[in-house]
Amino acid sequence: MPDRIRIGFVGVGPVVERYHLRAVRGVPEVQPTVVVDINEERARLFAQRQGIPVYTTRLQDLFGKVDLAIIALPNGLHASISCELLSKGVHVLCEKPMARNVPECRAMIEAAQHGGAQLCIGHNRRFRNNFSLAKRLMEKGIFGEVTAIEAEEGSTADWPRSPAYFDPVQAGGGALIDVGIHSIDLIRWLAGEFSDVEYQGDGTPTTVESEAQLQFRMANRAEGKLLASRMRNLRQRIRITGSEGYLEIGLWGDNLRLRSNKGKAFQQFPYLDAYVSRRPPQDASFVLQLNNLVNAIRGKEKVLVDWAEGMAAVEVVARAYGHAAQLQALPAEFSGGTR
Amino acid sequence: MKKLSVSSEVQGSAGKSSEASFPTLAIVPCENHEDLAGVLSRLRAATPSLLPASLPRKVVIKPNLCDLVSWEAGVTTDPAWLPLLAGELRAIRPDVQIVVIESDAVSAYKNSRSCDETYDRLGYREVAAQHGIELVNLTNSESIEISLEGIPQSVVISQLFLEEFYFISIANLKVHPYERMTAILKNSLGLLTEADISSLHPYLSLMLSHLHRLCPPDLCIVDGRIGLEGQGPIIGDPVRMNSIIFANDALAADVAACKLMMIPPEEVPHLRKVAVDLGREFPDIELPAGIQPRSFAFNTPSHDAILVKFANRRLHRSSELFTNRWIDRLQRFKREPVKFVTEGIPRLARRLHAR
Repeated sequence: MPDRIRIGFVGVGPVVERYHLRAVRGVPEVQPTVVVDINEERARLFAQRQGIPVYTTRLQDLFGKVDLAIIALPNGLHASISCELLSKGVHVLCEKPMARNVPECRAMIEAAQHGGAQLCIGHNRRFRNNFSLAKRLMEKGIFGEVTAIEAEEGSTADWPRSPAYFDPVQAGGGALIDVGIHSIDLIRWLAGEFSDVEYQGDGTPTTVESEAQLQFRMANRAEGKLLASRMRNLRQRIRITGSEGYLEIGLWGDNLRLRSNKGKAFQQFPYLDAYVSRRPPQDASFVLQLNNLVNAIRGKEKVLVDWAEGMAAVEVVARAYGHAAQLQALPAEFSGGTR
Repeated sequence: MKKLSVSSEVQGSAGKSSEASFPTLAIVPCENHEDLAGVLSRLRAATPSLLPASLPRKVVIKPNLCDLVSWEAGVTTDPAWLPLLAGELRAIRPDVQIVVIESDAVSAYKNSRSCDETYDRLGYREVAAQHGIELVNLTNSESIEISLEGIPQSVVISQLFLEEFYFISIANLKVHPYERMTAILKNSLGLLTEADISSLHPYLSLMLSHLHRLCPPDLCIVDGRIGLEGQGPIIGDPVRMNSIIFANDALAADVAACKLMMIPPEEVPHLRKVAVDLGREFPDIELPAGIQPRSFAFNTPSHDAILVKFANRRLHRSSELFTNRWIDRLQRFKREPVKFVTEGIPRLARRLHAR
């Protein structure tokens, strides 16, 4: 392994421009070396602007030139592209969701095991300050047994998306698998496994849903509701109510509000607003996520969101949709847009 | 103004409330400074409601350990309180977990003082080990940054405050250069985990009011056996006041402390702020017979005094370095005398030669 891990970008859409590129610049142990995109002009411009020596439209050109690939493609391509890279020993940071369904996830896992490569799923919010603090507080048990969970995330428009996002076959779903999966992953991380899920959405066989509502029960019998929308501005938060208090965690900001009924500080304060945005000054979750993967590649720590975590979130979505087997597998060729 | 009546049940010295909902207060004389056990037993007999009937699993005690100065100087809290309170608390709940908390501080000489060093050198470590008491340095504990209304910066507190506990605050009877006096409410400043809190001084009253809401004491003890007059809160002259205030309310305890020091509570900014924020008036406290108040001398530092203070600070620092150097030499000599002499003589010769 060279001193600096060579990184290839597979798909250079907005999520790479806005987040992954900044993360790569923030981790000194990595060096971007190759850009792959179906759109050659976009790949050329990106590589030129960022001083990356090689750009290409062929995935095969990546082999031997990179140690780690960041995959930011439409959901339907996650499995096929990841499998190809992982089986040849290239470590992968794959954007969420891990894949459209559980069989695809399993294929990715097999490829990773066969190639001896690390696979990290881009549930970056686990690395945000407010969620890290929430996790530590939950582990201390100061909110008691979790009794109820509410999650809401939705906005009218956030960024440009390729048509693949609105195609049920390529995307594997709509608001739930795209937006809601963040909350699903965070709820699992903070409060344990989902047991029963009941889904409602406005999708049709030919269109993905833009509104999704998931009512669920956790393994510890806590009940909850998740709203995900591409049409409405929602409150962008997760609220976890326990027998001894509650936590409200901002999904888009760094805010964290907490109350512990018996806690000394709450005899006169109804709640406390934790202040977690000062250090670091901006959202560094993508940097921390990449750092975690780099350290895992170097054998210093474990991947926080590994294949098992990624698949567990997809499994909840697949159960919700109840049509995991109906989705068609896309061919392995690199075809489609970018995230 | 509400009147806090004074009972004469115990040698005419204990005060307590006339209403159930009203703060309970007792001022107990203590001529013999070694007899804290006697003071507690008189308190128990006269005002049992001040001591808890039941306890949660954890009890937290906050002494005032603002500098490396013995309690006889009227600056810090006497460690003798710990075994007494431990006995009292374990009689109520045998499995109670007793924790003493304090943070790192910046001393009078602007040296950063580790709270662990303070625990060691003021005898807390030894007492705690003997009586199964846990000492916690809040500066090193797991903390949480919170935002408080009106305070422009975040405030770091220990995650301990998110838990349930019974809180005992033990303070001294002291004057303070900015606030006129300091007792229970000002003692709360040590609940902040950051050592240098000078940036919070412009918001001191508001901060103390917030801290009182964050962690209101269940039992307040103002140890007025020896008070501190002069400049305060760590520089001044000790004064024998021979009385101890017990209360279940910080504001009442501090107003009683003001009464003992003959300082009008209205002149104390943080008392005014806390009273306003709690929507309360200052209780009118009559001192019991036998308790003599004293007008504490209050020296606002002049410009000359500040210059002297800085000179003292430098002198203290250099003398501390000098003393430490010789203590270090003595210890090395005791450990390995031959090596010390054989290495030391050539070094001394070189130094003399260089001169």
